Amino acid sequence: MRRETSLFSRLVVRVALVLCGGATLLAVAAWYYARAAADDAYDRLLLGAAIQITANMTVDNGSLAVALPTSAFELLGLAERDRIFYRVIGPDMRTLTGYEDLQTDLDLTSARAAPVFLSARYRDVPVRIVVAARALSDPSFSGWSYVVLAQTTEARRALAGELTSRAMILVGIMSLLALAGTVLAIRYSLLPVSALGAALRARDPQDLTPVNVDVPRELRPFTASINHFMGRLDERVTLLQRFIADAAHQIRTPLTALSAQVDMLDEDEMDEIGRRHLGRVRKRVGQLARLTNQLLSHAMVIHRSDSVRFKPVDLTDVARKAFRAAIPVTVDPDIVISFEAAPQPIVVLGDAVSLREAIANIIDNSLRHGTVSHLAVRVLGSNGRARVEVEDDGPGIPPSEWSNVTARFVTSKTGEGSMGLGFAIAAEVASAHQGAIGFQKRGERGFTVVLDLPEYVEGAR
Amino acid sequence: MTYRKLAALTGAIVLSGVTSAMAVEGVRAFFPAVDQERGRLVIHGATDIEAMEPLVRDFQVLATDVAVDYTDYVTNDLYRDADAACRNGRAFGDILLSSSVDQLVKLANDGCAVAHSSAETLEVPDWANWREEVYGFTFEPSVMVYHKDFVPPEDVPHSHGELTDLLRFKPDYYRGRIGTYDLRQSGIGYLLAFLDAQQASTTYGRLLESLSRVQAVLRCCNNAVLSEIDSGNVYIGYNILGSYAYAAARRNTKLRIVLPRDYTLILSRGVLIPKGVKRPDLAGRFLDYLLSERGQEVARRKAFFFSRTGPLPDNVDGPPKLIESGIGRPIRIGPALLAAQDQLQRSTFIDDWIRLLRGSAPGDAP
Repeated sequence: MRRETSLFSRLVVRVALVLCGGATLLAVAAWYYARAAADDAYDRLLLGAAIQITANMTVDNGSLAVALPTSAFELLGLAERDRIFYRVIGPDMRTLTGYEDLQTDLDLTSARAAPVFLSARYRDVPVRIVVAARALSDPSFSGWSYVVLAQTTEARRALAGELTSRAMILVGIMSLLALAGTVLAIRYSLLPVSALGAALRARDPQDLTPVNVDVPRELRPFTASINHFMGRLDERVTLLQRFIADAAHQIRTPLTALSAQVDMLDEDEMDEIGRRHLGRVRKRVGQLARLTNQLLSHAMVIHRSDSVRFKPVDLTDVARKAFRAAIPVTVDPDIVISFEAAPQPIVVLGDAVSLREAIANIIDNSLRHGTVSHLAVRVLGSNGRARVEVEDDGPGIPPSEWSNVTARFVTSKTGEGSMGLGFAIAAEVASAHQGAIGFQKRGERGFTVVLDLPEYVEGAR
Repeated sequence: MTYRKLAALTGAIVLSGVTSAMAVEGVRAFFPAVDQERGRLVIHGATDIEAMEPLVRDFQVLATDVAVDYTDYVTNDLYRDADAACRNGRAFGDILLSSSVDQLVKLANDGCAVAHSSAETLEVPDWANWREEVYGFTFEPSVMVYHKDFVPPEDVPHSHGELTDLLRFKPDYYRGRIGTYDLRQSGIGYLLAFLDAQQASTTYGRLLESLSRVQAVLRCCNNAVLSEIDSGNVYIGYNILGSYAYAAARRNTKLRIVLPRDYTLILSRGVLIPKGVKRPDLAGRFLDYLLSERGQEVARRKAFFFSRTGPLPDNVDGPPKLIESGIGRPIRIGPALLAAQDQLQRSTFIDDWIRLLRGSAPGDAP
């Protein structure tokens, strides 16, 4: 499976990378500065000690003498763990005392102007060296003498390390805060995206009107594209519906003529085979007429759901009209047909014409495909719901097909005896009224189709 | 086997010799392991075998499989040999003990030491530890010793100043009767004199002048001075380490010890594990033992008698609380001692000292 990309993780990872890079840079800088600071601090001690030693140089009987002051070593001893190496050089460049092998590449005379610091290695350990010079001008003795003073760098490194680690703790805390802030900011910024998603998800599939959700400026192109696309889709759907309605309307006229022509055929002049064929032609023409009517009815229902304002209507009244319209006069007299109205008026908010069409289609379907000897239409109201139940004693639709039959042009059976658009129209109307089509099966014989709508309560809207 | 026998024999001879003649330094002793020997610790010390023996024996109670080979040196010889061994990359024993801590500090500064740290070393005060390489394991005030029979009570000096005055007022009585180290031979003598000069240069100058006037007797080492007092040739010994003095006073009750009340230098004998150590484990173990409570207790009772925390030993005249009173000045083991170790400094100081002490003829004194 491909890894799902996430804006959140992308942003967080990139910000974290930037922060890591920044922290590393800061660490290097902190280390550099800490080293410089530590060197500076301990260089002063080193220089102080060197100056004390040069100050203790005296000319005694025409020769140079130096008494190493304990205080100079105590000063250097402030860097508790560091070792000290020194060398005192007389004007003849001879080592007066100290470590004779303490050499520097430095030209000692360069220390005459000012003490010189350098870093080097001595006896396999890194040392910091200062070279200080002193001019001796005694009548008996004159010239420059030098002090080379070296100290190991343990205290410097320890101080630099401590400063760096403290700085690093601060940098670490800042980075974590920045990352936490970023996480929060990203979560907050991405909220409108999920809000937009939720708004789109909550939309009715039929609803192709522009999305109207408050989104930040950056998301506007996205919503604009969605709206643009929906607008085009809406146009296409409308065009398609109009085309279907037009086509159905165009077909109806020749179909009526065809039906009339078929009726005019004289059956008596035909033989048995001809009559059977004529019967089939008549039946097929009837089906075609019905389908055409349903298409027109569907187009009308859709049109009305877009354009007609809903009003409170009495469902019993509507159901009765539908009942009358759907039961043809030519119905088999052996079938027991009943209509049971609710004792109280049941009001729903809706379009009476669409609702009548929906109920009529359900009754028609039941009559054509279900009813064997019994058909009952009931109008009920309870718990804020209004229900129209159409019950017959047919085999009904198997539960596995229930979800399919309400979709357009899908029927439980293919070919002959198709249920056509009946349930599709009913379902369309039900959803336009915030309701639904439901099915109930009662034993071997007994199938009920339920149109379930919210009851209208005065002042609730 | 032959070596062991020989060494054991040498040890026995040397030990019996030590007890009779105290002045012996530069000898070797072998302490065979209590059980089967599984390791041998080589100690080079500038500390009397007699002082170290109780500690070594007690250590061997804890480490029964360790034999100890102890060689006693004069401080300057120990430093010279250790320094040469370090320069040439040779091994020189497993552990070095020296009263002349400045020399050990110099060795550590020159990179001739191995650091050792453990739970025991954490207890050591800062002034007795440098770089975890040099530790001070004893507490030895530098004292004055006098012979009761020859120094009347009113003459007993209680400070450097009193000693100076005494020698000034009674030069004839004390002429040739004051003993101290010969700085040319004794490292510890030099260190104490150098620090004396640092502590109070005027007082010390006057003291030197007085010592010179009475023609002070110079000896190589503590025990040499002490045996002179013991025999009554010398009446007062100056700058004697308290441990040696107390050991001598226990043998001869006529010897009395005074801790100077103006200031008392306190030496902490140093111990160091040299680079090239063959048995660092044993060396570390012995070092830990020396610093441990048990080792310190044995040192206080049997070897060095003074301790950092405990009271002064009996019959010692001095301030009861040395450190708290501010009179005791512990010699800080640290780089400041390098100033004392500078060869030019050292030679100049010793030259001046000898000149001062020997320069003026007896007749010149008033």
